[in-house]
Amino acid sequence: MKATIERAKLLRCLSHVQSVVERRNTIPILSNVLIEASGDGLVRVMATDLDLQVVESLEAVSVDGAGAITVSAHLLFDIARKLPDGSQVSLETADNRMTVKAGRSRFQLPTLPRDDFPMIVEGDLPTSFEIPAKTLAELIDRTRFAISTEETRYYLNGIFLHVTDEDQPVLKAAATDGHRLARFTLPRPEGAAGMPDVIVPRKAVGELRKLLEEALDSNVLIDLSASKIRFTLGGEGGMVLTSKLIDGTFPDYSRVIPTGNDKLLRVDPKSFYEGVDRVATIATERTRAVKMGLEQDRVTLSVTSPDNGTASEEVPAQYSSDGFEIGFNANYLKDILGQIDGDTVELHLADAGAPTLIRQDSNSPALYVLMPMRV
Amino acid sequence: MPSPVPDDDEAPGLRKIIHVDMDAFFASVEQRDNPELRGKPVAVGGSSGRGVVAAASYEARKFGVRSAMPSVTAKRLCPDLIFCKGRFDAYREVSGQIREIFRSFTPHVEPLSLDEAYLDVTEDIRGIGSATRIAELIRQRIREETQLTASAGVSYNKFLAKLASDQNKPDGICVIRPGEGARFVAGLPVRRFHGVGPRGAEKMARLGIETGADLATKDIAWLRAHFGSFADYLFRAARGIDLRPVRANRIRKSLGGERTFGKDISSGPELRAALEDIVEIVWARIAESGTQGRTVTLKLKYTDFQLMSRARSLPRAIDGKAEFARVSRAILDELLPLPMPIRLMGLTLSNLEGEESEDRPPDTAQLSLL
Repeated sequence: MKATIERAKLLRCLSHVQSVVERRNTIPILSNVLIEASGDGLVRVMATDLDLQVVESLEAVSVDGAGAITVSAHLLFDIARKLPDGSQVSLETADNRMTVKAGRSRFQLPTLPRDDFPMIVEGDLPTSFEIPAKTLAELIDRTRFAISTEETRYYLNGIFLHVTDEDQPVLKAAATDGHRLARFTLPRPEGAAGMPDVIVPRKAVGELRKLLEEALDSNVLIDLSASKIRFTLGGEGGMVLTSKLIDGTFPDYSRVIPTGNDKLLRVDPKSFYEGVDRVATIATERTRAVKMGLEQDRVTLSVTSPDNGTASEEVPAQYSSDGFEIGFNANYLKDILGQIDGDTVELHLADAGAPTLIRQDSNSPALYVLMPMRV
Repeated sequence: MPSPVPDDDEAPGLRKIIHVDMDAFFASVEQRDNPELRGKPVAVGGSSGRGVVAAASYEARKFGVRSAMPSVTAKRLCPDLIFCKGRFDAYREVSGQIREIFRSFTPHVEPLSLDEAYLDVTEDIRGIGSATRIAELIRQRIREETQLTASAGVSYNKFLAKLASDQNKPDGICVIRPGEGARFVAGLPVRRFHGVGPRGAEKMARLGIETGADLATKDIAWLRAHFGSFADYLFRAARGIDLRPVRANRIRKSLGGERTFGKDISSGPELRAALEDIVEIVWARIAESGTQGRTVTLKLKYTDFQLMSRARSLPRAIDGKAEFARVSRAILDELLPLPMPIRLMGLTLSNLEGEESEDRPPDTAQLSLL
């Protein structure tokens, strides 16, 4: 194989795929990327961790010999990073080595044969639909902070996607860690009817979100079965991310979304966020709870720490129900408030021990449920 | 309340002790809940990277797959091995069910982990007649209520009851009657004794001890010379004697594990890799015991045998392996670079749930949604 590639293109591509590669691997070839040059001047770069694979194509300056080889992802990435801006990088294989040349630099890297490189067997992916990349990016941004990291509840370690018929057919994305829940709803894309419920793992979500940044103006093609999902993105030569899905049952989350919370609080999300952030300064790791005292058109935020003293701040609000106090984890509250773009946010409360529903307004596609802390 | 009675205090009269142990517990729960796994070699644990096997089905054990074995080794021994991620909520649920069953026969239940317990049925509160009959009834109810099998050992002390439950596994029962203990132990390889690991067995083999009978020929002075504080236990065990009471309210204070390295290590990557291994092993133990704790302690022993330990506490119980690993890594990272190489590293989880602790903030708790 012999190919010459613009350093900037190679670097961008490697920066996408190298994060798929785990830093520590017991199977050596999983530390490598597969580089495949074809006669039509395209170079494909692929990385995998056996659960997730990313393939990105880029146009080479020239391909003087078609072929394929695998080489350490992190080594090649670090080399590409340090090569001079604007240079052209030549990749050439001979005798189980790959020579990387750019300007006056020359590297010889060990390789492993391409045939040993594992590929995810996609199988049949019967469901197929398109979503604008911007919408998919928003779906991820609005939900992924709530994904659980608790491995014992592995079925919560991803974003749950399912279609349902309500007033109109919709596609819903949900994530929860058992303390908070985020849900994003969009009109059901054509072709998504009858799709199986799937849970997209956290790592795939993160990698996908990075790739989307490169192709925000195009559509993303999604193909899936009950066990695999494939995202095909635009961008220069196209990017394809294929992931196994989490084999588990996502809990029936709709039952934790409160419908009868009758105490409505409206605040400016930005000043509310800043207020929570300020009073939480004195909250130690042990006491992350921030207390909200609700009164007529006023919320008093307060934190009491045994080590650091106390803090309180009044935030103007619209509130006309009975006054009461409720506590929340400051970080959870900030995570959600940070998602609200508009000038007001609605908090629908019931009591100090019941889930609170948070959303921008009744039309917003995103909805959040937050469980209080006892304070 | 921990019992004030020391372990070796004489328990009055002849006792009736049952040891109940679920068969390949985690793996059996997986096979029960997923019919496709039945009859196949199954391991519970992480299959990738540094994962370890937390439990193996009997089909997998035929290939030599054992718990605490690195998953890559297991996969090599048994290429068709199916890995399942642990569902500890499910295991805890079954554990709760079987403990209910135990308690319907006696209040004297000492759980050892999620899937095994000692029962003292000397007092036959339900008038069933014999300990063997009680053990059979317990096994039957476990089968009916959980669709899982358990093995039971019935004897007159904990040591023998535990050996007996292992005797006819799976789905078996074994009774060692008064007067039979010494003979039963005599024929056993020492490796079967609780507390004798691979290295202990190796040392004994070098000293010419292969079985309980070999051990019984040694006097207490000789044993103390070779095994120190372990001698008293071995002396009694070789004769089938064990006076430890079944302690219903035994409270564990901490749970952990450590590793001594073949060669001293000091570089960051080596230390981190070692830590990951210990995290896997210790977390498997924590998960199996079903305990929850909020303090992680990292212990290091330097080449000059100096010990040092650093601890970190959370306001609540450690929430899963990822958090346990994260906290452990954070403690280690703060200590780097180390002043000299280390020969041993260990991790402990303490401040376990149920323990009263003074520094817990009163009534501050995140409520749960699901």
